[in-house]
Amino acid sequence: MATPSSTTTTTATNATSNNADNAPLAAAAAAASNVWPNTRDSYELREVIGVGATATVHCAFCKPRQEKCAIKKINLEKWNTSMDELTKEIQAMSWCQHENVVTYHTSFVVGDELWLVLRLLEGGSLLDILKHKMRTSDCRHGVLDEATIATVLREVLKGLEYFHSNSQIHRDIKAGNILLGEDGTVQIADFGVSAWLTTGYDTNRQKVRHTFVGTPCWMAPEVMEQVHTDHGYDFKADIWSLGITAIELATGTAPYHKYPPMKVLMLTLQNDPPTLDTGADQKDQYKAYGKTFRKLITDCLQKDPTKRPTATELLKHPIFKKAKDKKYLQSTLIAIGPSLETRVQKASKRQPGTSGRLHRTITGEWTWSSEEECDGQSSDDECQEKPLNKLIEVPQSSDSEHESGDEHLNLVLRMRNSNRELNDIRFEFLLGNDTPDGISTELVGAGLVDSRDADVIAMNLRVLIGNQTRDRPVTFALVSGCNSDETPDEKMLVGYAQLSYAD
Amino acid sequence: MNRIIYFRNMPLFGKSQKNPVEVVKQIKEAVVALEKGDKKLEKAQEDVSKNLLVIKNLLYGTADTEPLSDIVVAQLAQEMYNNNLLLMLVQNLTKIDFEGKKDVAQVFNNVLRRQLGSRSPTVEHICAKSEILFTLIAGYEHQEIALNCGTMLRECARYEALAKIMLYSKEFFNFFRYVEVSTFDIASDAFSTFKELLTRHKPLCAEFLEINYDKVFTHYQQLLNSENYVTRRQSLKLLGELLLDRHNFTVLV
Repeated sequence: MATPSSTTTTTATNATSNNADNAPLAAAAAAASNVWPNTRDSYELREVIGVGATATVHCAFCKPRQEKCAIKKINLEKWNTSMDELTKEIQAMSWCQHENVVTYHTSFVVGDELWLVLRLLEGGSLLDILKHKMRTSDCRHGVLDEATIATVLREVLKGLEYFHSNSQIHRDIKAGNILLGEDGTVQIADFGVSAWLTTGYDTNRQKVRHTFVGTPCWMAPEVMEQVHTDHGYDFKADIWSLGITAIELATGTAPYHKYPPMKVLMLTLQNDPPTLDTGADQKDQYKAYGKTFRKLITDCLQKDPTKRPTATELLKHPIFKKAKDKKYLQSTLIAIGPSLETRVQKASKRQPGTSGRLHRTITGEWTWSSEEECDGQSSDDECQEKPLNKLIEVPQSSDSEHESGDEHLNLVLRMRNSNRELNDIRFEFLLGNDTPDGISTELVGAGLVDSRDADVIAMNLRVLIGNQTRDRPVTFALVSGCNSDETPDEKMLVGYAQLSYAD
Repeated sequence: MNRIIYFRNMPLFGKSQKNPVEVVKQIKEAVVALEKGDKKLEKAQEDVSKNLLVIKNLLYGTADTEPLSDIVVAQLAQEMYNNNLLLMLVQNLTKIDFEGKKDVAQVFNNVLRRQLGSRSPTVEHICAKSEILFTLIAGYEHQEIALNCGTMLRECARYEALAKIMLYSKEFFNFFRYVEVSTFDIASDAFSTFKELLTRHKPLCAEFLEINYDKVFTHYQQLLNSENYVTRRQSLKLLGELLLDRHNFTVLV
């Protein structure tokens, strides 16, 4: 009897140890089955933390999981772009599992809305934090210190390295798209314009890779230039944007933020790469930043993309010896950042359609689209920031500053381009700051207007602004005239152009 | 064209060039171990992923190494067919880790695109092993591999012979279910595969629609009446495209 009983014991022990071995497996299976639910009722929507033209971002609570999350609600009726665009953005997120890339949980359709369930990053975007800090303290000599910037950029680079290894390009790296978790986690967000390199995944995707190019201030020169070369730009464009972001984190803005988009293109292409001091008002304004940091910026901002280091190479840059951990960011960024409540209030004040992106059409023309692309991630603070153009900047305490005479006029110049298509060129005019001649020179400089028409445009701009009634457009003949096979026509705007108020 | 291949933290494999037979043998052993579950899950997953990365780097090259020569790739592919590796990988996809799943799709698509003169040997291989296709289609049932299977399926659908097998299978009608699953990115991925199958090879599609008119359009009607806004919108758009295609003219009008 003794022998069989001892056998039984051994078997039992074996079974136990097997179970122990399988425990992690079971746990993994349980975690996998613990998926994010796809029904509206599973989520409790809370405050709005971001608003865009086609999307609203809510703080939310997932009841079955007892866990907070962010829900981006996209109105599909208002979504005029193809469904493929949307699918592409979401799939780009679902191909990523990395600590520094925004965590996507699931997505499902509710009525005519698409709900994206994402990790909630309570700290908001770095742009939120920059702006908050600039409002509440003296940042003349720099907004964030080197150690903080190095810590943030190292995390962003880790995310980019992963991203690039997936054959993905982000194409819109900037402070507004870098989000912070309460614990100091840094994640790259907003895949709205990301593209795929052509190695492998899905060759069908190339069809959807199109002319979206990001936000001008952060855009690499080769991206701006890619007129006839469709394979000419790749992941190095993100490294340029990272360099601009480094400047942004130090000075609070991208170097050419004062200029309208077309001018930014021109400056980026014609000038030497920007540096920390490009936007400085005073010599030595940013002397607190050392050589190593400046070297990082010049390494990233090389016009020849092949000379820029890869994300992997950059991670070895000596500046990252200064990088610290999440806890440090908690103390330097989260603690000083605006509370979620402040951001909620700001979000509700936001006007849709006030930010935009440049697109390049097949014919090589630049168009500025402002309405549809404002996608309302919490990162969307550029929605009211409008980093491109000081002319568009709406002062925070709008009332008092408005009285000081800085009135913004939204104007439209309607005229035919060289292909004879009717175009609306929208621009802003800041009373007391801009001059009709200055604007008209800028339009010529950006290649939007024939230099022969500069004077007549400036003259009529003066007329329009002088008018007491704003509802009347001004139509005038162009000095450049029209093609020989056309007859000038005031109504059809052949050989004529029209200036008016946009709203 | 720039390619970047990322080295996940892994031991270096030395400089010695592995020969195809050895490489395939190793990954096969790793997949078998994963399938049987005799090792710990993480260990088995790690082995498979490590080996997948070796194959991927051989096919695509890395920052420091060129891709293999055509002859060696042909040998590698042949070795994969002989060992039925493609099917094995696809069948065990759910067990492979997140990055490994993506590597399977990359390896699969690369091998599929290889040509030998005017022949596409992998297409011939899959024609003979159509189970590969049906396993991939069934992948839409599993959230964690649906998108990976989708990329492989769409690559397959580019080849008429493979598209034909899928269209004329009973599994094709599962797509009417997959395009309506609640997870948006999976449903829309299934929809793009579905669309690819119905539009890529015009004469083939027209013939298929003609033969299966009643069955297809009974099912299609349900998509048009779906409760899901996206399904309604996408299926209506596709129907429009199908109607406007002159190849389908006799069938549909």
